[in-house]
Amino acid sequence: MNGSIGVLPIGKVPETACSAVAAHVRSVLGLEAAVLAPLAEPDYAFDRNRMQYNAATILRTLEAMPVPGCTKIVAVLNVDLFVPVFTHVFGEAREGGPCALVSLYRLGQDLHPERPPGPQILDRLLKVALHEAAHLFDLVHCFDDQCLMHFSMDLEALDRLPLSFCPTCKALLK
Amino acid sequence: MQEKLKIMVVDDEQIVRESLYQWFKKFSHVVETAASGFEALEKLEKVPFDVLFVDIKMPKMSGLELLERVKQEYPDTSVVIITAYGSIASAVDAMKMGASDYLLKPFRPDQMTLVLEKIAGQRELLGKYRYVKGLLAEKTRFDNIIGQSEAMQVIFDLIPEVAQSDSSVLITGETGTGKELVAKAIHAKSHRANSPFIAINCGAMPESLLESELFGHQKGAFTGADKNRKGFLEVISGGTLFLDEIGEISAKMQVDLLRVLEEKKILRIGERHPIDVDFRLISSTLRDLEKEVAEGRFREDFFYRINVIRLEIPPLRKRRDDIPLLIRHFLRKYSHETTKQVDHVTNEALECLKQYPWPGNVRELENAIERAVVLSKSRTLDAQDFAFLGGARLRPDRPRDLREMEKRHVEEILQEEDWNISHAAQALGINRVTLHKMIKRYGLKRPE
Repeated sequence: MNGSIGVLPIGKVPETACSAVAAHVRSVLGLEAAVLAPLAEPDYAFDRNRMQYNAATILRTLEAMPVPGCTKIVAVLNVDLFVPVFTHVFGEAREGGPCALVSLYRLGQDLHPERPPGPQILDRLLKVALHEAAHLFDLVHCFDDQCLMHFSMDLEALDRLPLSFCPTCKALLK
Repeated sequence: MQEKLKIMVVDDEQIVRESLYQWFKKFSHVVETAASGFEALEKLEKVPFDVLFVDIKMPKMSGLELLERVKQEYPDTSVVIITAYGSIASAVDAMKMGASDYLLKPFRPDQMTLVLEKIAGQRELLGKYRYVKGLLAEKTRFDNIIGQSEAMQVIFDLIPEVAQSDSSVLITGETGTGKELVAKAIHAKSHRANSPFIAINCGAMPESLLESELFGHQKGAFTGADKNRKGFLEVISGGTLFLDEIGEISAKMQVDLLRVLEEKKILRIGERHPIDVDFRLISSTLRDLEKEVAEGRFREDFFYRINVIRLEIPPLRKRRDDIPLLIRHFLRKYSHETTKQVDHVTNEALECLKQYPWPGNVRELENAIERAVVLSKSRTLDAQDFAFLGGARLRPDRPRDLREMEKRHVEEILQEEDWNISHAAQALGINRVTLHKMIKRYGLKRPE
């Protein structure tokens, strides 16, 4: 697996969250990673009927503005994301695509946009971010419930996952 | 969720189609989309789908109309209705019309996963049902026996003659020679053809179960007999009973069956009143029953009763002339089943196959052709495609299951290439994405 990941804060996102994602991209995925200059809140993707942000719209916007020096982007937000037909998503990425999104919004109650997230929220954020980033490298969901690529039904299931890939997914990422 | 499904998303909203397409792809499903009911029906005409996710509200043809058409024309395709305008009435209508599920948009991602798990389970059951049904249908076919050799011509001439009488028949021959097929053919040519043909493998059943299966029982006859049950000898009513591996039955069972053959009456277990039965007995064995009789292990009177007519099925090595014909038959069969066009074998391969001793007889040849067809990358099979036969006898754990064979093959190549995905994909002649999906599907793991 080659390339470098740009961790892109969108809107009000604690700095610690982005630097933790970048650090784990480096240590777990073994890729170069850097935190990019933040973008404004994605008002263009706000759906007034649902009072949520359309993840597909944000992805399309990001895909249309490639960032020099990065092969792929993992954007970190703190807004409630949805894709049409689903009530919400923790994160979103197209298989093999250039950009992934991950939101802190549903990862815990005790989150303040200005303060660093607590250890539990941070742990969840890192899991979702690495899971979505791996989709960018063609990885699909894994049947092994001890693998980060396993689909998590809810936060409890997410908490049960380790912050690592099974040997097969690890091999596929190489 | 291990089962890979072929899914079609039918919705007039592009964004919904795209979202679900992306979602299903992440689970390695094969996904297509259609913007209308008409487009969906066009696609269904060309290839079968396991499941359709259909929006109720679409112009020209509503989701419920599409559901009705699909259930009429493709009853095996599951349909899940998805709607943003749910009502109890439409949900009830959809379920009455045969929808597998009804989801109200927007739904939680885990709801979709649970629906797919349910459908995958239903399809697995359907597959098993089909398999059993196919086996039953095959029982009535006479043309399943292939052969033009002199040895088989003798058998073919004997079948119609033997079928005319009601005498007991004993079929002998090695395993895999087709003894059951010959028994079915005799039944199919006889006046009993419209009544059942029941085959029982005596070697695979404990005596008490065999007794209960054949004779039936009365309620309370033994622990667990909670109701009256008819046995096969009663149910068969005018048909043919095929007892495979009859040499395995106990002395007591020999006595019981001898009495039935002589008196044409049975007693259900726990019952005192005899019931009239009418059936023809065809048996088969691998054993040398004359020797068993001589050594006192098989009753002489029973042996003569079941051995009125004797048919000896030759092993494949003694009818090598039939091998090309059998190969052609199995090529056609497995090319059709796998939808791969493999219709030739090279002269060299044919020669190898004719020389091979075929310890497993026709059954082994069929398995070999099936495996070669599945793994073949071209229309013609060459000697290399049958290289596995060279070591076959040295590898008693050789899998019979094709998925298992494919899994092992992929695993071997991955190990040979030190789990370098690009190299392994190249060696297998497939692309990286396909290999990724196979690795997922078979749960292959790199050794630690």
